[in-house]
Amino acid sequence: MNNISHLVQKYRQASWRVQLQWLVLFVLGLVAVALVAGLYLSVSARAALTGREIQSLEATIRSGERVNADLESQLAALTSAQEMKDQAIAIGFQPVGPAEITYMPVSGYAPPPAVNMASQETHPSVLVIPPEYTQSLFDWFIERMQTAPSAAGGQP
Amino acid sequence: MKNPHTWRYVTVQIMLVVFGFSILAQIIRIQHSAEAKAILDKDPGGGVQTFYPARGEILDLKGHLMAGNKIVYEVGVDIQVLKENEYANANTIALAANVYLDLDFATVLNWMTQPPEGLRYVVLDNFASSDEEKALMDLQESVKDKPRDQTLEGLNSKPHLVRTYPEGSLAANIIGFVTEEGIGYYGVEEKYNSLLAGLPINVWVSADPNRAEELPNIPPGATLILTLDREVQASVEEILDTAVLNTGAASGTVVVMDPKTGEILALAVTPHMNLNEYSRYKEIFPGETPFDRAISQAYEPGSVYKILTMAAALDNGVVKPEDTYFDSGIILIGGVAIRNWNNTVWGQQDMIGCLQHSINACLVHVASLLGNDSFYSYMQKFGIGHTTGIDLAGEATGHLKLPGDSDWYPVDLGTNAFGQGVSVTPIQMVMAASAIANDGKMVYPHLVHAMVQDGRQQNISPQVAGTPISATTAHTLSDMLSISLEKESSNALVPGYRIAGKTGTAQIPTPYGVYDSSATNASFIGWGPLDDPKFLVYVWLEKPQTSIWGSEVAAPVFKQVVEKLVVLMGIPPDSVRLQTAGP
Repeated sequence: MNNISHLVQKYRQASWRVQLQWLVLFVLGLVAVALVAGLYLSVSARAALTGREIQSLEATIRSGERVNADLESQLAALTSAQEMKDQAIAIGFQPVGPAEITYMPVSGYAPPPAVNMASQETHPSVLVIPPEYTQSLFDWFIERMQTAPSAAGGQP
Repeated sequence: MKNPHTWRYVTVQIMLVVFGFSILAQIIRIQHSAEAKAILDKDPGGGVQTFYPARGEILDLKGHLMAGNKIVYEVGVDIQVLKENEYANANTIALAANVYLDLDFATVLNWMTQPPEGLRYVVLDNFASSDEEKALMDLQESVKDKPRDQTLEGLNSKPHLVRTYPEGSLAANIIGFVTEEGIGYYGVEEKYNSLLAGLPINVWVSADPNRAEELPNIPPGATLILTLDREVQASVEEILDTAVLNTGAASGTVVVMDPKTGEILALAVTPHMNLNEYSRYKEIFPGETPFDRAISQAYEPGSVYKILTMAAALDNGVVKPEDTYFDSGIILIGGVAIRNWNNTVWGQQDMIGCLQHSINACLVHVASLLGNDSFYSYMQKFGIGHTTGIDLAGEATGHLKLPGDSDWYPVDLGTNAFGQGVSVTPIQMVMAASAIANDGKMVYPHLVHAMVQDGRQQNISPQVAGTPISATTAHTLSDMLSISLEKESSNALVPGYRIAGKTGTAQIPTPYGVYDSSATNASFIGWGPLDDPKFLVYVWLEKPQTSIWGSEVAAPVFKQVVEKLVVLMGIPPDSVRLQTAGP
């Protein structure tokens, strides 16, 4: 009996070892919590930064649209009917009368079509999200299992 | 064996536990502290912002911009910043606003130093030009390092779009204008205001970046493509302005329409104004001066109306072109004697002669052959007394008295036959005449060729408003009118092109129920080329001074307009066209 108690006593961990294990476990827990908190802070900060960038880009887009509209109007004013007429007269052109025109048939000539401002884009652009952002690890594993070539070689 | 250093481990363990729990306790304390509550309760900023879509553009048929948008700036002052600076630079800001924005110094100073309760931001100028804004912002930058009372700290600017008209006064009466409040008045701007303005969207915009969300797409208002060709419009306006000046007319109107589609190719009226200076509206259009006479001013058209009477009679079969009428210069109808203009007697005339000499008595005779029922039925089919439905704001109906109305008398059948006692707008006359020029089919006049929204273009299809007369009648009458012009050696004739048309010289009724013998409405309506009409032109000069006759003042304007049209529209002379048309 004594021998058995002695053996148990001998192989029982020292109390300081147990305390050390608990301490390490606690520190590990603390580190884990700190990691999660740090990760949360990092993600939050990046989300906030991205949000600001989105707002800034949207403002830039709106500003660009305004500038486009303004420049379009400026261009139209510079090429207005009166401006073009004045320029034409200034470089020596004169209005032509009906009697001064010679008409000649040109086979295959088609008059220019009326203005068409419809968008030439027939299909709306589709945002393609890579599978990495939508596929779970399990889905990826199943897919790899199904698509991996067999060891026997060749697929049906 | 007891470890002699156990107490050290225990101490470190306790310290770490205490430290860990203290962190947790601190986290909990901070989250529930009064400061945290204040931050959470505090609005992070932002608010509901209304995003106004850019107003849709207006283009001519070839895509030239007639109405667009330009950048202006809202210049304002942040009152909070001024307060923090104890209004040290209020005088400097007021002085800058006075110099660069032409605002009253004392008023601006008062706005800033005594703003209404709760107001944090004062708008000094909502429509500062780019140059004004740039000058102010450059000044603000250059004085930012000076003593506080000499800076422009608190002054802000924000860009936004307002309407601009690159062509100035061209087609002004058709386009209309948009006020600073963004509301369209007159013309296309008013008629299509909702479509052009688009739908403003209210969005909550948070200053908290964690709540930043993508703003919804705000599509601009629809773009309108007009049926106008700016080159044609510019030429017609120039011709009209010159004619009004040369004839001393009180006003002038020219409408050019494609009689097959109803597309208005040009519409010129006087007066017209630079749309970028719409604040001068009351000065240019005093009293009840209509913005667009072509659609808003009904008047007694006179002899141009005879084409409708003759069309009805030919279609009804009561007369044929070769039928004769002996004119004695006077005819009795409804117990009232009606005389020709200047009491002229024309003797034996066929129906072409009646049109050529514009014999009132002959047309009274023709109308009496038709009778009340038929005559007024035809006039209603021609759309007289009703709006045409043209897509412009402010169209008038005119007035057609009908048998049974309290103000109708039997003599009205006679006077109506030659365009008196009935009032029409120029656009009504154009629409009615389109039936004669277009194989009997009357078309709705319209100014919008297409609408563009969300990248899709919706073209407006021509619409037939009715078929008041047969194609045969239309061809017969067109021939008669062409022959009458040629026999008359009219001032409206254009060498190389066969044209149909009719002059009009109408006395003007006074408010006292009698006609003013000293002034007339001179007009001309015509179309061509006769075998394949591409244009229908209506000219009206109000009270011309050089001559009272439509044949002398309005017909030459018609000729000038047609001479421009055939060049700008690429219409070869009849001989060339028929030769190249092939067998």
